[in-house]
Amino acid sequence: MLEFLSRRLAATLVTLALATVVVFAVVEVLPGDPALVMLGTDARPDTLAALRAKYGFDQPLITRYLQWIGGLLTFNLGNSHAYGTSVAKLIGDRLVVTLPLGAMALSWATLVAIPLGVFAAWKHRRPGDWGVMGFTQIGISMPNFWFGIVLVLAFAVTWQWFPAGGFPGWQEPLKSVHALILPALSLSLGEIAILARVTRSAMLDTLREDYVRTARAKGAPERVVLFRHALRNALIPVTTVAGLIAGFLVAGAVIIESVFRLPGVGQLVYDSINNRDLVVIKNVVILFTILVLTVNLLVDLAYALLDPRPRVRA
Amino acid sequence: MDALSRRHLFGAAGALATLSVLGTEAVFSEARAQGPAKDRLVIGMSLEPPVLDPTKNAAAAIREVTTPSIFEALGRIDRTGAIGPGLAESWNISEDGKEYVFKIRKGVKFHDGEPLDASVVKFSLDRLFAPDSTVPAKSLYTDIEKVEVVDPSTVKVTLKSPNSFLLYSLSLGDAGIMHPKSAPTNDKKPIGTGPFMFKERKEGDSITLVKSPTYRDPGSIKLNTVIFKIVKDPSAQVSALLAGDVGAFPGFQAPELVERLKKDPRFVVIVGTTEGEVILSTNNGKKPFDNPKVRQAIAHAINREEIISAESGFGVPIGSHFAPHNKAYVDLTKTYPFDIAKAKALLAEAGYPNGFEASLKLPPVGYAQRAGEVIANQLGKIGIKLAITQLQWPQWLSEAFKERNYDLTIVAHTEANDLDRYARDGYYWGYNSPEFKAKWREVVAATDFAKRDQLLKEAQQIIARDAANGYLFQLAKIGVWKKDLVGLWENSPTPQLDLTGVHWK
Repeated sequence: MLEFLSRRLAATLVTLALATVVVFAVVEVLPGDPALVMLGTDARPDTLAALRAKYGFDQPLITRYLQWIGGLLTFNLGNSHAYGTSVAKLIGDRLVVTLPLGAMALSWATLVAIPLGVFAAWKHRRPGDWGVMGFTQIGISMPNFWFGIVLVLAFAVTWQWFPAGGFPGWQEPLKSVHALILPALSLSLGEIAILARVTRSAMLDTLREDYVRTARAKGAPERVVLFRHALRNALIPVTTVAGLIAGFLVAGAVIIESVFRLPGVGQLVYDSINNRDLVVIKNVVILFTILVLTVNLLVDLAYALLDPRPRVRA
Repeated sequence: MDALSRRHLFGAAGALATLSVLGTEAVFSEARAQGPAKDRLVIGMSLEPPVLDPTKNAAAAIREVTTPSIFEALGRIDRTGAIGPGLAESWNISEDGKEYVFKIRKGVKFHDGEPLDASVVKFSLDRLFAPDSTVPAKSLYTDIEKVEVVDPSTVKVTLKSPNSFLLYSLSLGDAGIMHPKSAPTNDKKPIGTGPFMFKERKEGDSITLVKSPTYRDPGSIKLNTVIFKIVKDPSAQVSALLAGDVGAFPGFQAPELVERLKKDPRFVVIVGTTEGEVILSTNNGKKPFDNPKVRQAIAHAINREEIISAESGFGVPIGSHFAPHNKAYVDLTKTYPFDIAKAKALLAEAGYPNGFEASLKLPPVGYAQRAGEVIANQLGKIGIKLAITQLQWPQWLSEAFKERNYDLTIVAHTEANDLDRYARDGYYWGYNSPEFKAKWREVVAATDFAKRDQLLKEAQQIIARDAANGYLFQLAKIGVWKKDLVGLWENSPTPQLDLTGVHWK
């Protein structure tokens, strides 16, 4: 187990190192001059040059890359050019919105999708199955921002049960949770649909296995057959997909945060790209990379828990 | 172990779900009980100010939040665009227009208690034109030769050459008076002399100002708290208004959604003017646009009515680069009237009987997107086939504006008095007219304002005749706010938001 773990960890670190090179290169080739964005159309060439020197945009690429990596390793991310505030604080302030949003969406997705998928597999080719398949078809086809707008119109504008957007901040915990419900719902819809479908097909596969027939033959109740025998094995592909979905949630958050005016990391990325706030873009993208890599690592660990074979092979 | 960890996982997910339902219950009743507070106003903004110091960044949103609420300048621009006393209570301009003597208001204090005097004013003005200055609007102030402290409440500004726009420039947020102590940190924590003080900012969400206890005219401040809320998405702007999260949207960005708000008895929709001329910027330095006949053909092919109807009818047609509400305006929309036959004939004379292909590079703003499609269609009718490219704002700035790598683009020039761009060398239009440059020198040097207005009219005529750019329409200011809110500006003579006098009925 320990060897398995250290091997996975090493692979993750190598991926991360490569990712810093890619991220830096991509941010550098973004067209647009950050100094021009800040100073606007009336800026004189000498003013632009002075500002570029001030922010070190005139330094060679390799110097700037090494400075960035050095900063990352010492947890000194520098200051945002657009806002003037510390990048670490900027990202931290946004994470407290995006992480709970993602956690809520992912937990709902799992809680709803897995029972739905099991149910559909159990009712295979009967009305219950068709119902679930119809619902998930809609869930996959409907863009989540559109669903978000519909939720706002119904629950915030017409009935006023929820705020139409915005985020009060965690000093008001109940209000904050309240503000995250509609966005998390819109974010989770597509994920529920995908996860339910994956659960259904994985369940259908395992339900055809011999050991399930054996379980039924020895007279095990259907509940035990479904949840103890079939679901446990079906969970392996489901976990993989749930891990991938965590990555999609990050991308979905960019749009959903804009519909619901949530000051989250997604909005920060969007604004930083528009402001050419290169320091912020680099660091946020690397943070996302770390998040996704961590989730993948956890998924690998979850395999080991759910299925003893990888442990044995390792 | 397996079962245990799985049970933990589901347990955690379940707890999160339960917590969210509990949240609903608690806030549900509270939200209904709260009425609108009469001493507080939430203003929606579609663009977020990056920093909060107008001397560090060119974004118009910074001026809207900070001027004159936090930072005040020597002069103060009122709702009609006229300049009155600001931190200077009076001024004298010498006969030759080269010396300005400002009497500084006495007893003014900054929000941190520091007093205002002539040396603080000198410090603020010196920063604008200093050789190593990184002030975005530096070019407005480079005619200043020196600033001198005459006595603690008198400042003398000497110019290298007369500049009839100087008083206006010294009334902008760009020339806001800042204290040497707080100037370095004004980008994050702005400290000025205005009626409101900065309280806090949540980046990406909101900026909160509160009433200043030291303002010289406390009776003019009717609000205790002003919150600027950032709402970028147009449909989110509508829902924020409908749900009551935002009380006013002075610069509403979605003309196509205005009808719906007009029908709602809770709101008023006020359509006013801005200083933004929306033009079809033309690369005069590039073939075939260097040929006046080609530009005239384009001018004849433009149907402004159709373009304005794509803006849901908001906007006033223009025939030159000048705002129709300005008293020096002259109507030149008939210089090259809409006439397809004439346009085709001119194009044939220029050597393009079958038209040509060109690019139209659009910045990511609503009006440009809407007008772009219409223009492509209109020019298509005379054989000019436009390929539309969408650019992000930083791309537009580098590619179209700085490198001049474009044929046509659509953009609003939102500064007041921005006719001077036609006299600039190397500006992105590539327009180079010795006649206009000479005229503009006269405009700048004219100390008699009646004379200046006449010269401005002549200057408008030169660029209209040359069809330097395609002149489309003057951008409207669409303001939407609650019916019982009084005092917000209807027009936007400058991108500022004066909140003194604003109150709830």
